[in-house]
Amino acid sequence: MVIRQSTRLFLFVLVVVSMILAGCAQPATPAATQAPAATEAPAVTEAPSVTEAPAATEAPAERKVATFIWTQEFDTLNPYYTNMWFSSVTQQLYNCWAWDFDEANKPQPRLVTELPSVDNGGLSADGKVITMKLRDDIVWSDGTPITSEDFVFTYQMIMADRNTVASRNPYDLMEKVEGLDARTVVITFKEPYAPWVANLWRGLLPAHVLKPIFDQEGTIDTAEWNKAPTVGCGPFVFDQWESGSFTRFVANEKYWLGRPKLDEIFFRFVPDDASQIAALKAGDGDLGTFFAYSDLPELEAAGIKIINSFSGYNEGIYFNMHAEKGHPALKDVKVRQAIALAFDRQKLVDDLLLGRTKVAATDWDNTPYNDPSISPWPYDPEKAKALLDEAGWVDSNGDGVRDKDGVELVLKYGTTTREIRQDTQAVAQQQLAEVGIKLDLQSFDPDIFFASYAENGASANFSLDLIEYSDSPNFPDPDTSAWLCAEIPSDENPTGVNTSGLCDEELDALFKLQATQVDYNERVQTFNKITKMIFENVYWLGLWQDPDLFGVSSRLANVKISGVTPFFNIMEWDLAQ
Amino acid sequence: MTRYILRRLLQAIPLLFVISLVLFFLMQNMGDPIATMGGRNVTRSADRERLKRQLGLDKPIIVQYLYWLAGNDWAKADLDGDGIAETPGTRRGVLRGDFGLSLVNKKPVTQVIWERLPNTLLLMLTAEAMILIFALLIGIYSALKQYSTFDNIITTITFLFYSMPVFFFALVTMYIFAVNFKKWGLPYLPTVGMFEPTAGKTPLQVAWHMVLPTATLSFGFIAGYSRYIRSAMLEAMGQDYVRTAKAKGLPKPEIVYIHALKNAALPIVTIIALDLPFLLGGAIVTERIFGWPGMGRLFLDHVSRGDTPVVMGILMMIAVAVVIFQLIADILYAWLDPRIRYT
Repeated sequence: MVIRQSTRLFLFVLVVVSMILAGCAQPATPAATQAPAATEAPAVTEAPSVTEAPAATEAPAERKVATFIWTQEFDTLNPYYTNMWFSSVTQQLYNCWAWDFDEANKPQPRLVTELPSVDNGGLSADGKVITMKLRDDIVWSDGTPITSEDFVFTYQMIMADRNTVASRNPYDLMEKVEGLDARTVVITFKEPYAPWVANLWRGLLPAHVLKPIFDQEGTIDTAEWNKAPTVGCGPFVFDQWESGSFTRFVANEKYWLGRPKLDEIFFRFVPDDASQIAALKAGDGDLGTFFAYSDLPELEAAGIKIINSFSGYNEGIYFNMHAEKGHPALKDVKVRQAIALAFDRQKLVDDLLLGRTKVAATDWDNTPYNDPSISPWPYDPEKAKALLDEAGWVDSNGDGVRDKDGVELVLKYGTTTREIRQDTQAVAQQQLAEVGIKLDLQSFDPDIFFASYAENGASANFSLDLIEYSDSPNFPDPDTSAWLCAEIPSDENPTGVNTSGLCDEELDALFKLQATQVDYNERVQTFNKITKMIFENVYWLGLWQDPDLFGVSSRLANVKISGVTPFFNIMEWDLAQ
Repeated sequence: MTRYILRRLLQAIPLLFVISLVLFFLMQNMGDPIATMGGRNVTRSADRERLKRQLGLDKPIIVQYLYWLAGNDWAKADLDGDGIAETPGTRRGVLRGDFGLSLVNKKPVTQVIWERLPNTLLLMLTAEAMILIFALLIGIYSALKQYSTFDNIITTITFLFYSMPVFFFALVTMYIFAVNFKKWGLPYLPTVGMFEPTAGKTPLQVAWHMVLPTATLSFGFIAGYSRYIRSAMLEAMGQDYVRTAKAKGLPKPEIVYIHALKNAALPIVTIIALDLPFLLGGAIVTERIFGWPGMGRLFLDHVSRGDTPVVMGILMMIAVAVVIFQLIADILYAWLDPRIRYT
């Protein structure tokens, strides 16, 4: 089609004029004016200033800022109103625990002069009374001394009926908390409580800030301090939080263990995993977490150091052994053993997790509580087949799936939508099919999967046969209520947490015993029995040890990570020169 | 006209009421807010029971809806778990302007939304302006020059962008312009966020960080809108009145922009009026990838934690906006096309 010259010229002019007009019209929206200007200006001015700044000219005066990339935003900054990982680990910056844990997960006194023990009189022989001696130089960031009153107030707030704190564990097991004097706190438990080191005083509330609010409103649920804890007791102090965008913490000049070396920690909220990787590679972040294993080589190639921090999570399968609602096959130990032998978990770890972690043997791997003689079930499909035959599960109708008494060996295997979990399901399905076990795969959003029996949650209503997740409720303490008979969810107990529905009286007694054993060595002995029992009966099948992955840029120096309180030495972190 | 507007607004009230009821009941199936309060751990039974009681989640759904709608300051709640309701409620209900507190962060819902709305509007209005400008230019040009080389090229390109998933476009541009450009020593764009922490939140920084998200949001829509405009313009240009205008010897711009475009604008106004309210909802994918603190991410975060008050607040805001923008569209029709009369 031939276009006339004049028309073409006219249209060209029209387009140009329209564009100019459009450009002129843009001041109507403030944003539009900025966008075009920006495309030219910063390319020249902004970019070089960023690259130059840390290096040469302003180096001495430049604030030392480290940028952390968090894929989830904090819900609240009040340590007792959240259990969210991203909120909890950040508390080490602006709040304080009575003791932190170092990279070997050993407690380190922070607010106390020493850790209470039977030897130093801090722990009563019956394990019910704990006496803490506070340091005399500890102060809130506004200069107010931290005293026993703050501990008593924190206890009162956790237990107040109108405060919707996330958890009262273990404060609802206490009889009382008293301040003998300004420097002595006495905690009395109703029963001996062994896991106190892991669970006591994971944060402190400033009485002088929050008490007036509580007295006036009857609750601290809506206190401004929860969103803006400008008075804190960590190496950094809260400065600013813009919803969805960023949070800024600045150095606490009054920190009693010395002012941190960095001036500021800037958290940027980036929910997308691929964007997190891009930002770390581009140097727009100095620390990130929770990567997919497949992204690790790319990150390392870009100079990001990967730190595996073990925080007690061991991914594993809980078998539904509920007396009425469980699949008959799973109540037979031989079938459970066969599943363990037929699933090549080492190959899973090598292929899907790039060999960067290990197969989990028990839920207490990497802790002193594991029986040292245990090593994961080997891969032996022939033995698995023999065990299934022995148990009477044979393929009598030739459909490729074993059966017994008219019941097919088809198991419903459910987990959350986390990618690596779904991949694991696919591998398991393939491998177990080779020994004649058919898996029916299901995956759920986490809030539906972990909902209680009352809410018909998939992990609690015994609709599944194999349930995969990891839990680490009291790390570094080994205590858990997941195996107690009293925790089996039912209409009478709709919020129970015993996913497997198993009531093994011997195991139940051992779990009850360990929770009261104040003597460390006795408790280790009990746990050796527990771990051996769960392992040999395959009540739980370990898949892999699931460390928290931290990626740290080469800009940061002195970085150590703890599994319990990851940022325990954040005051020593510095920018590498 | 005033009577018409009043009648439309009155009709909206029962509609919004029904919408709120349906949404509230649907939200109850979105998962258990307390399940997510344990973080990575399973929430303890004692805490589950206490929180259900304290947050009023132990009440039947219809009662929860009633409290949401009309408040609970006339009822008492059992907070200490002894089975006796002793504490008077404090909520005033949506009808009295109280959208409640977020279950996740205990902030008032209105504050939670207000913290994000400006960011979303900044991004979405900029993108919408870009979309309209470029879609009009492309649409009109390719209608006037149907089947020309330019029309063919632009048609191909628009279809290419239209068929490209948003996340793909976003990540590809991010890797090219932010990651690789930096590696190659070229002037580069930032990856995520609204500004650099060292530079502070200046208008220039924000604008610079908006380039990629705006481009991502615009491209697919420019393609779609320009196709609508093209076909509407093609139809208008073939009408008798355009021929008459031509015969009268009117200058071409007047024919195109006044006679044809005004008539072709009707269907376009409909589409824009349908799209505008959803701008308030933000762009879930784009905001997520570029770490833009907007409404889409807010919605996703709170849906995933079963935070009924916040989710209801956002959904009701969008529902109200849909009603209002539809009304505005109807009024615009009357202005654009004098044949349409509302009495």
